Amino acid sequence: MRGDRSRLIVILELAPVALVLGGLFGGAVVLAILQSLGFAPWFGINTFPDFSYFARLWSGEAFWISLGFTLYYAVASTVLALVLALILSLALLKSFTGRRFVKFVYKLPLVIPYAVGIALAILMLGNGGMLSRLAAFAGLIDDPSGFPSILKTHYGWGVIAVYVWKQLPFMTLAIAAVLVGIGRRTQEAASLLGAGPLTIFFRVTLPQIAPGVVTAVLICFAFNIGAFEAPFILGGGYPDTLPVIAWRYFNDADYALQLQGMAAVVSIGLLSGCILLAYLWSYRRFERRIGRD
Amino acid sequence: MQSPSKQMRLSVFQRFYIVAVVAFVLGPFLPLVIQSFAFRWAWPDLLPSTWWLERRTYSPVPLAWDYVLSPYSQVGVATINTLFIGFAATLLCLLICLPAARALARDRFRGKRAFEFLLSMPLIVPEAVIGMALLMIYIRLGLAGSYTGVIIAHLIPTIPYMVRMLTSVYLGLAPDYEEQAAILGAGRVRILLRVTLPMLMPGVVAGALFTFLVSSNVFLLTFFLGQGRIVTLPTLLFSKISGGSLDASAAGIALVASLPGIVLFALSERLVREELFVGGLGR
Repeated sequence: MRGDRSRLIVILELAPVALVLGGLFGGAVVLAILQSLGFAPWFGINTFPDFSYFARLWSGEAFWISLGFTLYYAVASTVLALVLALILSLALLKSFTGRRFVKFVYKLPLVIPYAVGIALAILMLGNGGMLSRLAAFAGLIDDPSGFPSILKTHYGWGVIAVYVWKQLPFMTLAIAAVLVGIGRRTQEAASLLGAGPLTIFFRVTLPQIAPGVVTAVLICFAFNIGAFEAPFILGGGYPDTLPVIAWRYFNDADYALQLQGMAAVVSIGLLSGCILLAYLWSYRRFERRIGRD
Repeated sequence: MQSPSKQMRLSVFQRFYIVAVVAFVLGPFLPLVIQSFAFRWAWPDLLPSTWWLERRTYSPVPLAWDYVLSPYSQVGVATINTLFIGFAATLLCLLICLPAARALARDRFRGKRAFEFLLSMPLIVPEAVIGMALLMIYIRLGLAGSYTGVIIAHLIPTIPYMVRMLTSVYLGLAPDYEEQAAILGAGRVRILLRVTLPMLMPGVVAGALFTFLVSSNVFLLTFFLGQGRIVTLPTLLFSKISGGSLDASAAGIALVASLPGIVLFALSERLVREELFVGGLGR
């Protein structure tokens, strides 16, 4: 009796979430792909399947430079945030005065909008910003233009600084949780057997916290590759990162360019999908090599 | 070999590192506060040469905080919108995620893995992909530029966290208590209200707070799907600083935009155990 009853109930219980995620989220993904292939009857365009939008986008040299920028910002900030978060989460395990305060403060950027982070970056890192003023105060430069450009320039640290500021707490929280979960016994055992701190970290701790690290990296990387505000405001202009390019196509008065924009958006999805799959695949191999899974 | 007590203390490097992290996180707020009170703050002065208060009586137009607090800045509307959309999205998210979490924690069914995969997709698919494509669907459905539309859109990035947090609480809650209440003659509604919900409370509070925080941070979805008609604190601040410069009133707006998150977060530190938050993140 319970079997039949519960199957219907399970379906009903899952239906609302499935509807939002399957209908809106899934629908949006499918529609994005269809449009990028020339299906847009509402604009009077229907040449499905038509690969010319991708062809036009991918044939330009600017696209590949943009792709390089997008990847550079995403990879650099994810790696930097990860390294900083690992060091921080290990330090937070210890007991020290002011630990409660530190544990509160480090999480603050998690709850503050990206736009605020961007505002802070403008204030700190701009040529007329605080760091530049401090450099002048220290007598290092005597003109704002003497300060190295960090914002509004390609490969600038402005975008990366905002991402790291915002994602350091997220990563630390995820890693610290796993660290607390594994306890200190294995580390202590390794220490008693004569392993140094670095060996302990790379051979004992890191493999144990790998699952948490992988999840945090996945989420942050996917966000960074698709984020739009920071590169739009702090980036170097043409050639822009891919989300900014898509945004410009979308805001163009020419409706037909929206399909070009969809091709750009789908390219972002493809790029992030490929990288994440490759990343997960190599993680699986690592798991199998150390004999887990 | 180190003694355990020595291992539990910070090394010199870690001491410096923690101070550096705190400075990295909090430091930039100091010039932000100063900037919001400045009238003239030229390079290379470390403090403004003229403050806002000195000039406010001479100025024909509202300056800095006068402007931020006036209706012209839309800060009031944006704050109300942010809070309203946050509350509505949280409530809706809770309502649809509770049953799903129950099914995920209690039942075995075909397609469970597929469903869990679908649940994690919004965390992995870039927001730009969703926002732009969703706009077309929204125009069709007549949801573009409406509160309903924005609230529903905020469910997409929040559902994954909410379901995970609720599922992890459900997993820790054995069905025995509900069965005992049923044996003692309690009805379904009564069981839900008097037994299940109180025991789920920690997860519900954690999930709700986290959902609200995520929702109050969402920019892209609100910006696209609100069609410029719905102003929230993140979108207001974005349009203020999109030129790449920051005046006193923009600094004020940035401070106001940080407030809801900070207040709620301080509350959540008191109300929620960290493990619960983390139960939603680290899996």
